[in-house]
Amino acid sequence: METQLNADQVAVRDMVRRICADAAPLDRVRALEDDPVGYDPELRKALAEAGILGMAVPERFGGSALTWTEMAVVHAELGRALAPGPWFASSVLAARLLARTATTDVQRAWLPGIADGSRLVVPAWLEPGGSARATGIALRGEKVPGGYRLSGLKRHVPCASSADRLLVLFGTDAGTAIALVDPAGPGVDLEQAFSLASDTQYDVRLDDVHVADDDLVGRPGEGWSHWSATLGEALAPLAAYAVGGAERALELTVDYARTREQFGKPLGAFQALAHELADCATEVSGAELIAYRAADALDRGAPEAGRLAAMAKLYACETFRHVTRSGEQIFGGVGFTLEFDIQLYFRRAKQLELSWWSPPELEDRIADDLLTA
Amino acid sequence: MDFELDDEIVAFAREVEEFLDAHHDPDVFDVTRENMAQIVDTPARRAFLKKLAERGWLGMTWPREWGGQERPGVYEYVLNEALAHRGGPQTGKGVGIIGKTILAHGSERLKREFLPKILAAEIEFAVGYSEPEAGSDAASMRLRAVRDGDGWRLDGQKVWTTSAHFADWYWVGARTNPDSKHHGITLFLVPMDHPGITVKPIWTMGGAPMGAERTNEVYLDDVWVSDDYVVGEVDKGFQYISQALDLERFSMFTFGPIDERLETLVEHVRTATVDGVPVREDSGTRRRLARLVTEAEVARLLGLRVLDASMRSERDGGAPPTTEASEYKLYATQFSQRLADASMDLGGPGTQLRVGTGSAPMRGRAESTYRYTVIDTIGGGTSQVQRNIISRRRLGLPRSF
Repeated sequence: METQLNADQVAVRDMVRRICADAAPLDRVRALEDDPVGYDPELRKALAEAGILGMAVPERFGGSALTWTEMAVVHAELGRALAPGPWFASSVLAARLLARTATTDVQRAWLPGIADGSRLVVPAWLEPGGSARATGIALRGEKVPGGYRLSGLKRHVPCASSADRLLVLFGTDAGTAIALVDPAGPGVDLEQAFSLASDTQYDVRLDDVHVADDDLVGRPGEGWSHWSATLGEALAPLAAYAVGGAERALELTVDYARTREQFGKPLGAFQALAHELADCATEVSGAELIAYRAADALDRGAPEAGRLAAMAKLYACETFRHVTRSGEQIFGGVGFTLEFDIQLYFRRAKQLELSWWSPPELEDRIADDLLTA
Repeated sequence: MDFELDDEIVAFAREVEEFLDAHHDPDVFDVTRENMAQIVDTPARRAFLKKLAERGWLGMTWPREWGGQERPGVYEYVLNEALAHRGGPQTGKGVGIIGKTILAHGSERLKREFLPKILAAEIEFAVGYSEPEAGSDAASMRLRAVRDGDGWRLDGQKVWTTSAHFADWYWVGARTNPDSKHHGITLFLVPMDHPGITVKPIWTMGGAPMGAERTNEVYLDDVWVSDDYVVGEVDKGFQYISQALDLERFSMFTFGPIDERLETLVEHVRTATVDGVPVREDSGTRRRLARLVTEAEVARLLGLRVLDASMRSERDGGAPPTTEASEYKLYATQFSQRLADASMDLGGPGTQLRVGTGSAPMRGRAESTYRYTVIDTIGGGTSQVQRNIISRRRLGLPRSF
């Protein structure tokens, strides 16, 4: 048992922290809010060179194949920095999905590029109905000789305008399927959507878009189980992202509470505020532990890993939201202004809680696992 | 990061479970005693503790010189959690706060007199810190100890001494210097059967039937204590107490009972039906239960972190974990109240029936845990005291009280 990072993990942490400090300081985070591209080429290059973009790519495809615990360490740092970019979507979700189920040709075509930073692949999953289930996939694929013709609307697609391929989940007679779609191809229309977190996301409309059988990822009918298993595991590093954000938001708030004075003493000398911060600190400790516990369970291939990853995402995102909400209150009026940093964390915390399975969805999955075991 | 116990610890845990299976006795193991299950207050429980002693499971972390095995703290953790999970007595204050304080600060004479008896489970202690005017502000205790010959004369009153009516010795703090609040307290050991000591029960809302569990007021009237029974140095008692409290926060609030209550609730949800519909299909119930199991895991992990940090401090000679223990205590005890509350809600109106009622959901456990967990966030330092510790020592905020 070791409830803190070991020396190797600390080295990964320090490396990513350095990269983010150089290539993703908060003024760049601000500059990239609502940006149509949504990431900085300098950060992308630095992350690629450090092997971070290949974190979930097998070594035979040029990846660094990090452990889940190391991926959690990486994401905690990305979360601390609020580093802009579709790194989780491309380098974890898409990479894992392709590694799990794509043909070797498809893997060879895309995984090395994801790892070396020359290619971006992002999932296109959600639709206007807002369902997080297989039943929510209304985008249809009509079978035609040699492939499918896809029509429908996807929402919340990260960085679609700069992605090289979208992994589109669509319905077929056999069930859910997944295909690689070129967002610059014919019949694909992108419209940027503006969000709470000011991240870069698009509505993607497909109108009779042809995909070849060779572009399928996994067999039709198996798409949902591959997607659901991929996202289910990836919740562990995502939870760590929330932990990193919560930890930094707490530091910002504690620093402010130590220096800002009212009624002749620092804010932190008022018990109402000190106790709120003590609760936040305790929750951040708990969130960090459960995020790494989930990652460690995935590394061990433990049967409870899926449930733990869902629990970690649920708890860590709730903590991130609570800490940033308390941060806003303690900063007072200035926390509402764009000039102060706490609002950057506050807005991203709630969006992250809602994204990649919201609390009700996670709760339902945890309960399923618990009560049908 | 690694949250699994080493193979040899897992093997030890299995050995403990086998031993407990073989020594099952409803007079010793009773989960319905909730928080009071940890005390060694009956002949059957004392006899069981002797069996643990014979097995070599008392004082496992102690130095070899004093009969210990110098094993890491995780062994005690595993044993105590297993005992707590079954509603059994804890290895207790003797091998814990008292034995460890004597080992660290006690005279040779105290070590020779008390340590072997502790290891043989021949002695039970009561702890007297709180007073009517010294609750959370423990350092304000004023039970007087006045110099008299080669000893001290103690006069005053203690309260919340839960073990006073069955203990052999009293581990009691007294004011030896009225001019210094934090450097004016001394720890003494006094035999409980001293004629100057009077114990009066205070009946609590704990117990089955309700009111069956007690704590006590203790009056000391002209009790002379020889210098031989001063623990460590005069006027340093509060420092010893504070160190021991970090340990107590962790060892008094085991995770085992929380886990056992959660299992009881999960089993209820898994099997119960209302209007012919399985409770496990109710979406509100499912979601609340999912949060409870999540938060239970967080509480367990915060506990493991205290254990890991304390083993590290033993290894490296650093200070024992303070804020880690406070975070665990704060979180776990508040969680145990949320769990009790949820168990009543999810069990439905039948949970209002008193513990032991056969027809009540979960045999009335929700009701007794609801009553008992009230004291979790008070004893061993209130939640508010824990927040003071965390905000000052971890966050570096100024004193706020």
